[in-house]
Amino acid sequence: MGIPVKSRGADWLRPTLWDGVVIAAVVAAAVLLLLALRPAGGGDLRAVVTLDGAVIAQYDLSSPSQPARTWVDCPYPLLIEAEQGRIRICESECPGGDCVHTGWVSRAGGQIVCLPNRLVISLSAAAGTQDGVDAVTG
Amino acid sequence: MKRQVFSVCLALAMGAALCGCTGGEARKTVQFFAMDTTMSVTVYGEQAQAGTAAVQQAVNGLEAALSATRAESEIYALNAAAGMGAVPLSQDAQAVLTLAGAVSAATDGAFDCTISPIMVAWGFPTESRHVPTEGTLAALLPLVDWREVAISGDMAFLPAGMAVDLGAIAKGYAGEKCAQTLVDMGINSALLDLGGNITGVGGHSDGSPWRVAVKDPNAPAEEVLCVISLLNQTASTSGGYQRYFTEDGVTYHHIIDPATGYPAEHGLLSVTVISSNGGQADALSTACFVMGEEKALALWRDPAGLPAEFELILCCEDGRVVVTEGLESSLAFKGEANGYTCEIARR
Repeated sequence: MGIPVKSRGADWLRPTLWDGVVIAAVVAAAVLLLLALRPAGGGDLRAVVTLDGAVIAQYDLSSPSQPARTWVDCPYPLLIEAEQGRIRICESECPGGDCVHTGWVSRAGGQIVCLPNRLVISLSAAAGTQDGVDAVTG
Repeated sequence: MKRQVFSVCLALAMGAALCGCTGGEARKTVQFFAMDTTMSVTVYGEQAQAGTAAVQQAVNGLEAALSATRAESEIYALNAAAGMGAVPLSQDAQAVLTLAGAVSAATDGAFDCTISPIMVAWGFPTESRHVPTEGTLAALLPLVDWREVAISGDMAFLPAGMAVDLGAIAKGYAGEKCAQTLVDMGINSALLDLGGNITGVGGHSDGSPWRVAVKDPNAPAEEVLCVISLLNQTASTSGGYQRYFTEDGVTYHHIIDPATGYPAEHGLLSVTVISSNGGQADALSTACFVMGEEKALALWRDPAGLPAEFELILCCEDGRVVVTEGLESSLAFKGEANGYTCEIARR
């Protein structure tokens, strides 16, 4: 009857309770760090208005509020209407009127562009775009 | 003791991997106006900053050469010298005009960069949109003929009265040109949105393709027809919903049929073209809209004379979305809820 052989390597690799505690502590710290670094207001829908590249207004579209109507003083004055969950350009003195034709926009990643004014309204959400798309053609 | 050190190292590695999920990858996005549209460029990696700057510089350079409205451009000079003499062209202007000619030939003139006088008559370039008289269009139609653009070496000549506008091809060409610039810099992950012409440089950093949504032409601000995958290709879309006006209760869109001088009405609401050749994708989206479903699919089946193969998404007025078979495995159809049906076209 032989003597049972016990490998030193196998003994060294067998996890103990303390190994589990150390791993759990570091993973917990990583999760806390991940939560701390997460963009604020997860899922919030925001609209940013830029005029020739400069931000001129921002709207929080995720919280209930009275509809806001704002005239923008630009080469062709236009009226922005924002309410919970959506935004549009409802009037514009620009010649083509394509920005008004766009209508309401309510999805993250959506855009309204008034080319004659070089004005862009961009919607974004901390959760990213719906369907996880990177870009839109059309 | 060694065991504890090993455990700590293992746990730290797991923690680091978990923290990596927050998206620490370098990336830079810039938005700017050029070529009469809005552009958005995102470059990933260590050279993101330099990459976006290079793209912006390249686009501005191309606009300076190819614009039909900027007095210092080569195309402006070509139009101004129509009937008087030849003008020199840069390599880019030659390349775009040559490609425009190839697409015109392959589409029997459904794409024609000499349609500029007709577009001006409709007031689209000048934002004074109105319906021109029949007499005006009849007088201008003889000036629309891509075969009259004479290119010899680095010189080009236009007959009197004619004018070139590269607006329906230049953005796609710019996308491909900028993509090459980024690749030459060693950048292999970037996404260019040049006025709705989407060019993917490589894919995501993990190698997965870009996901590009195609707008629903009946609800372009809110709904999508489908989502496609893009790797080192350009997706370009043309549709009557993009620019239009209403006069006396009738709506007129901006995609003019070079054969008639009136907005093209051949049963399509929008056309999306996917190709490795950006300029071709851009020009073909207009051409196929003008041609209609049957002729567009015939061209897809036999793309003789075109520099690259391509795939199509045709949104028809009757609610069918016709997708060519090369996209079948990677396309996610989203149009059911809005009453669309999806058909696969095969060669």
